[in-house]
Amino acid sequence: MSGKPTRRPGERAFAVALLAFSLVAFWQAFDISGFQGLSTAGMFPMLASGTMVVASALFTAKALAGPGGTGALSTRLAHFQAAILPYRHVLMIALILAYVLLMPWLGFVVASALFLFASIQLLWRRKPLITLAVTVLALVVIHFIFRVVFQVVLPQGDLLRGMF
Amino acid sequence: MDILANFAMSWLDPWLLLLTAAGTFAGIYIGAIPGLSVTMAVSILISFTFAWPVNDALALIAGIFMGGVYGGSRTAILLNIPGAPSAIATAIEGYPMAKRGEAGEAIGLTTVMSVFGGFVGIAALALFAPVISDFAIMFQSRDYLLLGLIGILLVGTLSGESFAKGAFAGALGVLIGMVGLDPMTAEGRFTFGSITLMGGVPYVAAMIGFFGVAEALVQLHSLDLPAIRQKIDRIIPRFSSVKRYFWLAMRASGIGTIIGALPGTGGDIAALLAYDHAKRSTKNPEVPFGEGAREGLVAPEAANNAAVGGAFIPMLTLGIPGDAVTAVIIGALFIHGLKPGPLMLVETPHLFWFTVGNLVLANIFLLIFGLTGIKVFTKIVQCPKAILIPLIIVLSAVGTYAIQNNPVHIYWMLGFGVLGYFMKTYGFEVGPVILGVILGPMMDSNYRRAMIAAQDDIGVFLMDFTRHPISAVLAILFLTMLLSQTPIWRKLRQAIQARSRINQP
Repeated sequence: MSGKPTRRPGERAFAVALLAFSLVAFWQAFDISGFQGLSTAGMFPMLASGTMVVASALFTAKALAGPGGTGALSTRLAHFQAAILPYRHVLMIALILAYVLLMPWLGFVVASALFLFASIQLLWRRKPLITLAVTVLALVVIHFIFRVVFQVVLPQGDLLRGMF
Repeated sequence: MDILANFAMSWLDPWLLLLTAAGTFAGIYIGAIPGLSVTMAVSILISFTFAWPVNDALALIAGIFMGGVYGGSRTAILLNIPGAPSAIATAIEGYPMAKRGEAGEAIGLTTVMSVFGGFVGIAALALFAPVISDFAIMFQSRDYLLLGLIGILLVGTLSGESFAKGAFAGALGVLIGMVGLDPMTAEGRFTFGSITLMGGVPYVAAMIGFFGVAEALVQLHSLDLPAIRQKIDRIIPRFSSVKRYFWLAMRASGIGTIIGALPGTGGDIAALLAYDHAKRSTKNPEVPFGEGAREGLVAPEAANNAAVGGAFIPMLTLGIPGDAVTAVIIGALFIHGLKPGPLMLVETPHLFWFTVGNLVLANIFLLIFGLTGIKVFTKIVQCPKAILIPLIIVLSAVGTYAIQNNPVHIYWMLGFGVLGYFMKTYGFEVGPVILGVILGPMMDSNYRRAMIAAQDDIGVFLMDFTRHPISAVLAILFLTMLLSQTPIWRKLRQAIQARSRINQP
């Protein structure tokens, strides 16, 4: 973080979203105990969310003050996509989502194997056989360290219960 | 006698010895790999130590912290990529040295000076923590509230792009820490009637999400880094050069210890301040600064390792984390049923001396591992990120799950990871969030205790801050820090500078 920060694509939208979130949080905090007293359960949450409202109002105002984005909405969206959420990120987040959703069902070993293979293949782009070798090696090491040495309980999975 | 026995516990127990060594070793490598931070390592690892005895967990964590802070220097010297933020200054001087073929000397000197710095920090911890702890028993609820606020404020202002963003991140953390049943009245806060939310947001999931997953997503932007190979010859530094820079290292360690001990500031700031000190105090450097001056290498490295011992002081005596890593460690101590604070030294003095002994041991291992194994090291740090990033995700998921064997926590982790990615992208630091999560509940209960003592009267509450010197000093400190972030301060400074310019023709 050095030098003068320039506005990144999507910064305004993010700032506005955070401001909106802070306002909702403040409203919810007020809902806990209102203004019944200064030592109630809702007071500190109100102070925290109040700080968030003020702070986010400040940076939102700063973000909105600068020159706006130029061009049609579609080009600006494309710009945002290229700089902030390239396909690599979208795919990766989707893979992680699939991984965490499948884990309770498939179990740790199978889900991790699929995830590691798919994501390494996506990022590394070598022959599938090499990726497979790396995946197996990594899984064996992780399983040994965590299951055998650290004795961590890994998710078993409903589908293949008892197998891994 | 008891002190000595506890101090030497990890030295004599082969298993603890092994854990400390393994922790230090892992810390060096994790700290060295760009994209893997010490905070990430500690937050993922504490989850695995949940079921362990406390001593084992503490031994491992001490090693990782010590090794990790040092490890960043290696990649800074060899690849010009600081493995950790605390090694930024090291890269400025270390990389030019490596380009001249002096990489071995740079690494050797860095290692020895880091170890010196580490010892200074630990000595300060052993000497001052008991004193501060005695003093801290006098602290009132309002003082703890102020300490928490100061800690978050310091982290928020010193990192990130703007004060508003830092304050937002800190407050967001506090808010996350509030979710769940109120410990005083058992009212639900932000629970929306959900039973899952009544237990609160799992803070380990938040830590791993913000430091593991979010960082991995950020690293996706820089997948392809060119690997540069360096020739490394002699590593053990010459005695003459150690002697020559010894006093500079000691001064830098002093800076590091103090900065580390301040709540909210850690190794990265200590390193930059020490670098600045070296630059000012060296009148005629052999090599100009920025082109591989050894002074500029020695000072920040001694300082950032001294900050480790320093950071343990507020953590163990007040329960206030010194930086993001210690915030995570405090989280680990909570999980193990310990309450860091002034009573920790009274109730569990053995743990304090055990920790001191551990840190000394980790520092010795640092010297051993730091001066060996460079060849293997250069191979390992060249591990492609394309493999590393998926591995971080898998480890993060296992770590989050391991705490309570609850798959829901992994969803939290992913949510915080994505949020953290956007926050990092738009210039927010995630350190204050974690500090807020850890300190939030503590600040809430102390605020309310102080307010109840003042019988809900805001006037009495505010006046209470002037009733005791400790509260008054802390309140003034807090107000000054707050004021220094407003435009009034800047105008005031400009006015003073303008006046002094007129007075000095």
